[in-house]
Amino acid sequence: MESTMANNPDIIHAGENVFIRMPSDNVKCVLLKPNTTISLGKFGSFKVNDILGKAWGNTYEIYDRDNKIRTYIPDEMNEVEETENNNREIVDNRASQTLSVAEIKALKSEGLRGELTGEEIVNKLKESHAAFDKKTAYSQAKYLQKKGKKFHKIFTPIKPTTYTVNEYFYIKNPAKIRDIRMDTLSQLLSFSNIHPGCNVLVVDDTQGMVVSAIAERMGGKGKILGIYDGDNPHYDVVKYMNFSQEIQDTIKVLSWLRIHRGPDEKSPDELQDVTQLTGKDLEGYHRRLKAYTIVEESRKILFEAKFDALVIASQYQPESIMEKLLQYVQGSRPVVVYHPSKEALLETSTWMRKSPDLLNPQLTESWLRKSQVLPGRTHPEMSTWGGGGALLSATRVIDFPVQAALTKRERLAMERQNTEAKKAKRTREEEEKSSGDAEASGTTTTTTTTTMSTTDATAGEDAGDGHERESKRPKQE
Amino acid sequence: MAETSIQKQSFAQYKANNTIEEGDHVIAYLNRETMQLIKVQSNKTFHCKYGNFRHDDMIGLEYGSKVGANATSGGRGFLYLLYPTPELWTLILPHRTQILYVADISFVMNSLQLRPGMSMIESGTGSGSFSHSLARTLGPQGHLYTFEYHEERAKAAKKEFEEHGVSDWITVQCRDVCKDGFNLENKVDAVFLDLPAPWDAVLSAKKAFKQDKMGRICTFSPCIEQISRTVLALKDHGFAEIQMFECLLRTQDIRVIPMWTIDEATEKQRAFENKRKRRAQERGGTKKQRQSDGEVDNDGAKAEAPLTGTDDDSVANSPQTVDNGADAGTTDSSAVGTPTTSLSEQGDATSLVSTPVSTPVLNKSVDVSTPEPRERIDPKNLTVTRLPTEQPGHTSYLLFATFVPRVSTKEDSQ
Repeated sequence: MESTMANNPDIIHAGENVFIRMPSDNVKCVLLKPNTTISLGKFGSFKVNDILGKAWGNTYEIYDRDNKIRTYIPDEMNEVEETENNNREIVDNRASQTLSVAEIKALKSEGLRGELTGEEIVNKLKESHAAFDKKTAYSQAKYLQKKGKKFHKIFTPIKPTTYTVNEYFYIKNPAKIRDIRMDTLSQLLSFSNIHPGCNVLVVDDTQGMVVSAIAERMGGKGKILGIYDGDNPHYDVVKYMNFSQEIQDTIKVLSWLRIHRGPDEKSPDELQDVTQLTGKDLEGYHRRLKAYTIVEESRKILFEAKFDALVIASQYQPESIMEKLLQYVQGSRPVVVYHPSKEALLETSTWMRKSPDLLNPQLTESWLRKSQVLPGRTHPEMSTWGGGGALLSATRVIDFPVQAALTKRERLAMERQNTEAKKAKRTREEEEKSSGDAEASGTTTTTTTTTMSTTDATAGEDAGDGHERESKRPKQE
Repeated sequence: MAETSIQKQSFAQYKANNTIEEGDHVIAYLNRETMQLIKVQSNKTFHCKYGNFRHDDMIGLEYGSKVGANATSGGRGFLYLLYPTPELWTLILPHRTQILYVADISFVMNSLQLRPGMSMIESGTGSGSFSHSLARTLGPQGHLYTFEYHEERAKAAKKEFEEHGVSDWITVQCRDVCKDGFNLENKVDAVFLDLPAPWDAVLSAKKAFKQDKMGRICTFSPCIEQISRTVLALKDHGFAEIQMFECLLRTQDIRVIPMWTIDEATEKQRAFENKRKRRAQERGGTKKQRQSDGEVDNDGAKAEAPLTGTDDDSVANSPQTVDNGADAGTTDSSAVGTPTTSLSEQGDATSLVSTPVSTPVLNKSVDVSTPEPRERIDPKNLTVTRLPTEQPGHTSYLLFATFVPRVSTKEDSQ
C-alpha cells in the first residue's frame, strides 16, 4: 500500500518539483520539502505539508493568520449583464480612487497577515472607486479581475508534465529549451511515432526537454539513447518531470567521443590487476569500472538496439549527425529534426532529398493562437507567441537495388556514364569533321548534357516520385 | 528469412522484427500524394500505374524497402513499402466523415497530458483517424472508449480496429452520447468531444472522469458559437482552467532561386544582344551548322577561330546557356519570378547546375586558353521557403478544461 501511494502520479508527493500558479498568472517552480513553508511574495505563504498527498488539480486559498489553506473555486467565468453604461463619462484621473496609496498599502499588509481576504480588499477598492458605477459591465468585470490578481491569496499547484514543463520554460526561459513550443513539441512526438516499447536515438540540445517528452510518452517501456557532447548530457529539464525510477531507467546517454572505442582506451581490468589493489586504489578501480561499464552498455545499445526513431534537436549541423547515426535506424522509421530557425534546415532538406536513405522530407512550421473565452467576451489574446521552431521530418528507407528500376545511386552513376558516352560520341564526330585537329577533348564534359541530366534528377526528386524520375531518365545508350 | 513474430502486427506499435510477413498490412508509397494500404498475401499482386508488384517479392523484406515492379510484366517502376503508423493512416484512410489531422491530433494529445496507461473517451469515432493516434499514445496498458452514433460508421470502425491490431484496447460503442450519455463512471483520465453539440455531453463526461484525480477535457468545434455554449456548460459543471486554442501546421516548399545582381542581368542581356547580332551576320550558315558550332564550342574544343574571334566575352557561352534554358524550361520554367523570361529560364538552369556535376563547367571556363576571358555568369543561389498558395486557415477551435477532483470531507474540515 505504501509503495503504491508513493508511485501514484495523481497525488502530490514530498520531494517533487511543482509549479505554483499565482493570481497574477505567474508560475513559480518549487521543490516540496516537508515541514517547510513556501512564500509566494505578496500572495502569502503556505505550508508544504498542507498540500502533500492531495490530488492535483485543485486551487487553494490562503486564509487566517496561520497561513491555512482551503480549496477555492475560481469564479472568473461569470456572465456579464449588459448595462446602459459606456465610457463617455469616464475621465482618466487618479482622483477616482478615493483611497490613498498609503491606505491601499495598509489594506495589502492586512491581507498578507491574513486579517482580510482578497475579496474583502477588492470590495473596499471597488466601493471607494468614485467612477466604478459609471463603468460598463465589461469594464467592471475587468477591473475586479485585475484587482483580484493583485490581492487574492490563491494558488494552484500544477503537475509537471511535458505540456506544463514546456509551457513553463517556453515562457520563462525559451533559450534554455531552444524555443521549442508545446505545439511543435507535440508534432515532434507524432512525427517520430513515439510509443511505449520503442527505441529512440536522440541528440538533444534542448536541455532534455525533448528527452523528457519522449520518456513520458514511452512510460518506462523501451529505450532512449541520448548522444551528447561536452562533459555531461545536461538534461536539466528531466529532473522537473518527477519521473519514476522505471522511466528514468529508460534514459541512457553516450558521448560522441565514446561511440567508438579509441586505441588508447583500456578497460580498468586491462590497466590494473584488481587482485593487487587495496584501499583508495581499489575504490578508484571500482569507480572507473562503473564508468566504463556505463559507456560499454550505452555502446551496446547503440550498436544492437535497432532504433525506431532518430530525433535531432541539436545546435550542430543535422547532416553531419545523420551521416553518423542514420545507420542505426531501421527501415520505415522516422527521422525528425528540430531547429528554432527554419532557415537552418533548408540545406539539410536539400541534403535529405538527395539521400537515397531518406524518403519525402517535409519542412513544417506550426502556428498557435490562444483566445480568451469568457462568456460574451471571446477574442484572441492581445499578445501571442513568437516562433515555435521548425521541424524537418523524413522516413528512413532501404535503398534496395531492384531489378526493374534503379536505385538512386545507380541512376546517378548511369547518368554519369551516359554523359561520358555522349561526349565520346561527339568527340568522334568532331574528329571526323575536323580530322587532323588532335586537340584532346577527352577531359572535358559537355555542359549541355550535364545540365540536362542534373535537371532530370532534381525534377524527379522535387516531385518526390521515383516513377516520374524513371520516365525522365535518359535512355540507356 | 522471415522469422515468425509472436506479436500480431499493430498500427499502434512496431513489430519486434521489422520484416514484412504474410498477412501484414503495408503502406505502398508511390509518391508524396499517392499511398495505399495493402494486405500482403502470397500469390497476390498489387497493380498500379507503375507496374505490377508481386506480394511474394515483398514477403521477407525489411519495412522501408524499395521494391521493383515485376520485370516480366514489363514494369519499370518501383515503390517503397512502409510500416503503417497512425500518421500515415491519417493520410490515406477512407473518409467517412471530416477527420482530424496531425496538427490538431498532436496538440490535443499534448494538452490533454496523455500518458501510456491512461483511459479516455473519444466521441465521435468518425473515420477513426484520431482513434489510431490515441491508441498509439495510450498503449496496450491504456484504454480508449470511443463512441459513434452512426451505426454503419461504428461497425466500420470496429472492423478497422480489429484489422489494424488495436481492438484489444479500443472499445467501440454505437450510442448517441448527447442523449444517452457515456454510461461510464469513475473510469477515465481524459475526454475528447468532437460532436455537433458537445455541451449536451459535458455532464455525462463529468461523471465518467476518475473522481479523485485531475482530468482533462477537450472539445473540438468548428464554430465559435458552439464554443460559447460549451464554455457555459463546462463552467456550470465546475470545470476549471478553460482555455481555447487554434493550431495550424504549415508545410514549407523549399526551392533554390538565383539572386542576380542588376549588373549580372545587364551583362546577360548584352550577351544576348551580341549573339543576336552575330547570328544576323552569319547569314550563310544553316541552322544545323550554327548549332553544331555552338556545341563544338561548348565542348571546350579549344575555341575554333571564327567564334572566338568575336568581340564579346560571353558569346562563346551563349549557345550553351540557351540550351540550358530550354531544358530547364520544360521542367519548371514558371518557378522563378525574375522579370524576364530569358532570365528566369536561365536562372532555373543555373540553379540546377549547382550540384557537384557543375564543377567541370567551371574548370572548363578556366581552362579555355583564348585571349578573351569567357566567364559564365553564375548568380548567387539562395535557398528559400514559401507557403503553398492554398492552405488550411482554420480547422476547429480546441477548447480545453480541467476536471477538478472531488474534495474529500476530511480535506474540507481542515
